[in-house]
This record gives sequence, structure tokens and C-alpha cells, in this order.
Amino acid sequence: MKYVTANSGAVAVGLAFGPIVPEFVSANPDLIDYVEIPFEQLRHSPEAGSIQETVPVILHCASMSVAGFVPPDDGTMKAIEREAERTRTPWIGEHLAFITADAIEEDQPTSLTYTVCPQMSEETVERVAINLATLQQYFNVPLILENSPQYFDVPGSSLSMVEFVSAVVERCDVGLLLDLTHFLISMLNTKRDPVSEIERLPLEKVVEVHISGLNVQSGIAWDDHALPAPPVVFDLFERVMARVRPKAVTLEYNWSPQFPESMLVRHIDRVHEIVRN
Amino acid sequence: MIASRVHAIVAAGLENPELLARWKQEPESLGAYGVDPSAFDLDAIWKFAGLSAKVKHNGLRFDLPLTFRFLSVCRLEIEVFGAYAAHKAKARTRYALTVEGRIVELVDFLRDWLDFDKREHELLWDVIRHETALAQLRKRTPVVKKSRAPHVVGEIMLYEMTCDPRVVGELLREKSFDPDRVQRCVVHLCYWNPGDPQDIRILELDELGYHLLSLVDGKRSLADFKRISKKLMSALNELGSVGVISLG
Repeated sequence: MKYVTANSGAVAVGLAFGPIVPEFVSANPDLIDYVEIPFEQLRHSPEAGSIQETVPVILHCASMSVAGFVPPDDGTMKAIEREAERTRTPWIGEHLAFITADAIEEDQPTSLTYTVCPQMSEETVERVAINLATLQQYFNVPLILENSPQYFDVPGSSLSMVEFVSAVVERCDVGLLLDLTHFLISMLNTKRDPVSEIERLPLEKVVEVHISGLNVQSGIAWDDHALPAPPVVFDLFERVMARVRPKAVTLEYNWSPQFPESMLVRHIDRVHEIVRN
Repeated sequence: MIASRVHAIVAAGLENPELLARWKQEPESLGAYGVDPSAFDLDAIWKFAGLSAKVKHNGLRFDLPLTFRFLSVCRLEIEVFGAYAAHKAKARTRYALTVEGRIVELVDFLRDWLDFDKREHELLWDVIRHETALAQLRKRTPVVKKSRAPHVVGEIMLYEMTCDPRVVGELLREKSFDPDRVQRCVVHLCYWNPGDPQDIRILELDELGYHLLSLVDGKRSLADFKRISKKLMSALNELGSVGVISLG
């Protein structure tokens, strides 16, 4: 098994686990430093973990409902804990979002299969702080939080995305997984200027960066890991790199088995180039 | 507005888009949960449910690459999968567990939902049937049939298309795709697995061949086909005798 080595100061470049990754990694063993793999994938398809025989793994997660009001069950938390120990991930990236919520009529909470941007309010910031204090106890490595894509105004929100993320980071002293595409999507959908807004983020807390594609359909910008990131995402990445040096940059092209390998190599090279400069 | 209540409503709407439709029709039913109905962008939540449904179908991209590319470049993904998510919620059914099952269910949904007056919908219908036929035949090893009646060697699927989906596939591989560049023409295609799933063939048939092949069911005998042929000739002669056609 391969493990992420102690931080040497270099920015590691990796890929989100997906259908093209095993073949790509075996054909290009020196091109990437790690694969980021969701806990949920390891839970439902443990064989996916064999990728770690070839390349180190960083654990990602969508099950903890950090910004929610229904906590994950102990069995799920213990399973994440086991995967964190087994993979020796240097941190666990989790969404600053909720995936489970109280039921409106039935007894059982509503459990979704994807994370949702929470109400961005002081109340939620406090909730994240409480949740993180509980969740972090399960792990010997830090949890870092990933900004959500905002597709619509969540009622009761009193903070913008940048204000919300900043408030959480300040209140919880937590590292940031800056998903640049999520950030751009949020800016487009709330009609804010991504260039000026990104400077307002607590970039010094960025541990990891995510890069993926997006598309605009039915009047809304959407996350799309089947498409390459547009140039504006790389422009934002350059701005981030001018301010900080994250530990890792993950390209999330993990939805389509047809994602062109040549494009993938170009984007890895582009990330390396920006990191070098 | 209390955050946990807002989350509960958003999650319920995403889980069951039928609720979103009801709340849109009857805002007071949403207000009954102690929230301001006008604060909820129900259309956007409905579309987000579409994104989620789309992501749940990523596993189909192996078999339906052109279909997904078509949906993406024509910006139909959210609309199609939003409607599909709502349809599933209304029917109170979950998505099939297997890729094969999900393809069948998606095709069944599209058959009823697509608006065939829209060219993009027509093309989508052609492309998804084309890829579905290839995917299904590739996964089957036909049983060798022994029959004295005319029968298909292997397995076939017959489709009448409004274009040649192979041409759409080529156009989709180009940098930009314009559905208006796809020539509208009736194309009769026979997808044929002659016994080897690695050797799926596509035969382009004329209309007569297409309909004739559709009659080959392993039960109708050669004599039946001769009778059909005689009846066809007799019908032609009758039309000729009336004078509505000339037999040349």
C-alpha cells in the first residue's frame, strides 16, 4: 500500500477517483501524487480501495452533514474512522453542507445521497462549530471543510457564501478545502464578482483545492465533473496560488468514462505550471 | 427562519419533487410548516433534484456516451432529469439497481415524456435508442434457434429513426454541435447480434426489408410469407384495376 508522505512543502497534485482513474494511473504512474476517494465509495465498493496499491489516497467524505441538524449515526462515523486509519489519509475533506435533515411529516429524517448548501446564517455557523467538535473526536487527522456550490438562495440566509465560509473558518479554526468550481458557481448564481470575492476568503486556511467543470442550464450554473474546467477556474487558481500554497490540488473529472486522457494530462500540466510559477 | 426547518423542507422537496409541485400550486401547504413560502425558490430546487438524478445515472455513461454528450451540448440534462426525478417521485418508485435496468427505465420514461415536435427531442430519442440497442445486444449471447420457419440468426432490434444516429455521433465528436446540421430522413436500422456479442452489426434497410424483417418471428412459415406476397400482389393488382396506381 502507498501512503501520502509527510508534507515536504511541495504542492501535491491528484485526481478524484472515477472510472478513468485506475487505467490512467497505471499508464501514467508518475503524473499524479495521490487519488482522492470518497468514503461512501469505499463503503459500498471496497474493491475501489485497491487503487492504493498503486498510488496514495486522500479520503473525502459526504456523510457527516457538518452543517446539518441531524448527526450521522455512530456506525457511519466509526466506518469513516476505520477508513481514515486504513488509508492513512493526511486529512479528511468534508462538505460544508448537510446531507440529512429532519423529516417534515414522517418519523425518519430525510437522507439524501448528495450534499446541499445549508442556510448561511449565524445559527448554522454555531451548529457547524458544535458538530465539528463532536466529529473531530473520531479522527487523528484534521477534518477540513469544502465550500458548497450555491444553486439557489437558501431561505433565512443572512450571510453571503464568502461571509459564511469566513465565519465558519474563524469560529472553528478549521482548514478549508477550496472548491474553485463550487466557488465560481456560487458567484455566478448569486451574481457576484468571483475575482474580488475570492480575495475576501480566508485563503491562508486553504489546505486543498478542487478543480472541475461546470455548465449553465435552465438559467443556473451547475457542477459538472464530466466537463473540463474552463479557463476562468484556472485564473482563480492562479490568484489563490499567488497568496497561499495549499498542500494538494485535486482535479475532479470523475463522472465520465469518456473524459479525454489528453485533456486530463493537459490540465495536470497546467496545474503543475501554475504551482511552479 | 429556523435553519433546521429550512433544511427539512429543502431536503423533503429534493427527495420528493412532487411536493415541490404541490407547494407551487398551494403555497399555503408550504406555509403550514411555519415558513414564508415566497422565500423558497421551488423551481431552482426542482432543477437541483434534476442534477442529483443526473449524477445518479453517471453509471450509464459507459453504455450511453453519445446520449449524455447530446444532453450536455443541447443543455437538456437538467430539464430531462428534473422531469425524470419528478416522474419517479410521483410513481413512488426508486431507480433500478442495475445499469441495464436504469437504461430501460429511462428509455421508457422518455418515450412518454419527449415532445416529438421538438427536433432536439426527436434526435435524443434516436440517439438513446441507437446506443441502447448496441448496449443491450453487446451484453447478450443469443440462443441458437432451430426452426423450420424463417427465423432470425442471432438477435435483432429494429428501429425507425428520424436521422442516422451514426451521423449524429460523428457530429457530436466535433468541437461544437448544431442539431440543425443533422439531416432529417427516415432511416430503418436493424441492430444485429449474429451470435457474437463482440460483433454487433448495423444494417440499413429499405422500408420493405424493415417491415418484412419485423414479420420474421420463427413462427410464420415460408408458405405464410408466400401468401403474404400473393396478397401483396393481389392488392397491388386491385389498386391498379381501380386505376389509382399504374403497374407500369
